[in-house]
Amino acid sequence: MDYNMEDTQNSAPETREATKLSGAGQRGDTQSVTKRLQAELMQLMMAPSPGISAFPDADGNLLSWTGTITGPTETPYEGLTLKLSFAFPNNYPYSPPTVLFKTPIYHPNVDFSGRICLDILKDKWSAVYNVQSVLLSLQSLLGEPNNASPLNAQAAELWDSDQEEFKKHVLARHRDIDDE
Amino acid sequence: MSLSKLPWNHFGPHHPFPEKQKFHGCYQDALAPPAFLRPLGLSIQAAFVPVPSTMSNSSNMNALSPDEMQRFQKLSNEFEPDVPGLLVSPKQSSHNIALEYANADPTFATKTSALAVTHPMTRVMKGDGNCGWRAVAFGYFETLFSLRDILRVEQELARIKSLTYTLDRVGYAEHLYEMFIDATEEVFLQTSEAIRNGDQDETFLVNAFNNEYQSNSILMHFRLLTSAWMKLNPVRYQAFLSAPLEQYCASEIDTVRTEIDEVGLQALVDGVIQGAGFGVEVLYLDRSEGDAVTPHQVSPTCPSDATIRLLYRPGHYDIIYRAEQTVNMAPVVNYQYAMTTNYSPWDQGALSFDVNSHLMSIPNLMADPAFAMGGASMSPIPSVSPTPASPYRLSPTQDMYQSPMQSHTPIPSIPVSSPTPAMPSAAPPPMTSLPSRSSDGPQIRLNPLVMKPNLNHLPVTAPFKK
Repeated sequence: MDYNMEDTQNSAPETREATKLSGAGQRGDTQSVTKRLQAELMQLMMAPSPGISAFPDADGNLLSWTGTITGPTETPYEGLTLKLSFAFPNNYPYSPPTVLFKTPIYHPNVDFSGRICLDILKDKWSAVYNVQSVLLSLQSLLGEPNNASPLNAQAAELWDSDQEEFKKHVLARHRDIDDE
Repeated sequence: MSLSKLPWNHFGPHHPFPEKQKFHGCYQDALAPPAFLRPLGLSIQAAFVPVPSTMSNSSNMNALSPDEMQRFQKLSNEFEPDVPGLLVSPKQSSHNIALEYANADPTFATKTSALAVTHPMTRVMKGDGNCGWRAVAFGYFETLFSLRDILRVEQELARIKSLTYTLDRVGYAEHLYEMFIDATEEVFLQTSEAIRNGDQDETFLVNAFNNEYQSNSILMHFRLLTSAWMKLNPVRYQAFLSAPLEQYCASEIDTVRTEIDEVGLQALVDGVIQGAGFGVEVLYLDRSEGDAVTPHQVSPTCPSDATIRLLYRPGHYDIIYRAEQTVNMAPVVNYQYAMTTNYSPWDQGALSFDVNSHLMSIPNLMADPAFAMGGASMSPIPSVSPTPASPYRLSPTQDMYQSPMQSHTPIPSIPVSSPTPAMPSAAPPPMTSLPSRSSDGPQIRLNPLVMKPNLNHLPVTAPFKK
């Protein structure tokens, strides 16, 4: 009994470390975050959605993932591959993950550091949202920006006034990044 | 006017229960009561009535440049109050509420003083944006525990779990919601366990609901059940919503930290709580006319022993407890325990002669296990012990205190204690147990001994082995 517990702890040093660092989580919570993320990963692999994918980072920490969105057709982002980072808090899914665009992107609701303005990643977050639904929401945000609350005001203006010019800006800013 | 004088801090020290309310876009901001009015305790209706002094403040706000407005909007959107205190507090005196309002508007002072008499105890919910949901969920489990009926707990667990199909029907994925159901089930099991152990108070529930993870999971479970219920019964709710129901559920119900509104509360009661047969009543503390809080029954019935009572102050819910419950309960316990111990001698004294001397004179008789407990406890009725069809269940309050005794079954005096519920009235011994005692009483049993010369072969048959 005691030995079993020790083994479990030794096999997952990084999650314990994360818990310790935040100072907030309990062991039970960390286990359920892990379980939840494993279930999400399973779902993504068993039933992949076209145009999106996600996988935990190679460092073995289940709390940080990299996602990929393929730019939807008939949008300025058509054919582009965009990478995002997901950082899950210890109380996930009761708090949203921090999601950033790693690929430089020109978009009304994304700033130049890759920060995203999307209500479901903030106060409209629900614990039934998940990596897949976030990626799908972001994919649709690419084709339908919310120009009422822009982070990049110039992009918002240009989207409304000159789609051709907008697309030029998108392509100028885009730069494929390597996996790290 | 300097900016620092503007009451931007919605959650100033004057308002003890700040709620995290977020509004997006100008449209909603215009409709919602200005947050700075809330510390004054104005109801929503009142907030729409132009109040000259406060309105001058908002006209100053309009003088700010759009940039500044935007900056403030952003600050306001991102503001997370650092609210101290437990998610669910222990029970405390309602006089605390009266004290908070002692120097406030006279209407509040009057109402809160009256409230402290009629509803002497309260339980404070943390104002973190979930207080309404948490108050109902905690009240649900607390009520369930107070009934002290393990079967009922099991029925409720089965009922709540059976509602899972509604989650599937509206399209929630099992791998996303299963953790919430597990957490809820855990608290049901803890409730059964506490009843079985005869726990006197609900500390275990307070602890469970103060565990952030468990608390969040249960609330999320109840939120999803409410959401599914609304989506499956749209006709009942759509007319009350300003947005399409799906959108309302996504932005107000499914979220992890959006305060419950009246439509949501109604749906939560209709879809999740009412199936338990529990009532929900909300007492509105506002500046409306009158000397007492305004009660509003959310459920069709409010059973006296199973009603969750919420105290609503604009933007915040707490749990509140009516007077009679606390007054009645404690004395009943003591009385019953006292009766139990005094009661045992009565049983033997009721026999018309000393049984023991006669019985002990019979060789081998005591070897019969049927005699081990003495004649009286052999009669089937007392041995069934206090529960189901006993005619002596005078009130639910008494039911409550029978179960703790059951849990001590190893103590032999328990079967004897079964008629005690009848004793508070000082009535004669219960009639149902008397005839049975006399019909297979010692006189009749001993008759064969007189007729049979061989005392080594006692006819310890039907009446004894029964």
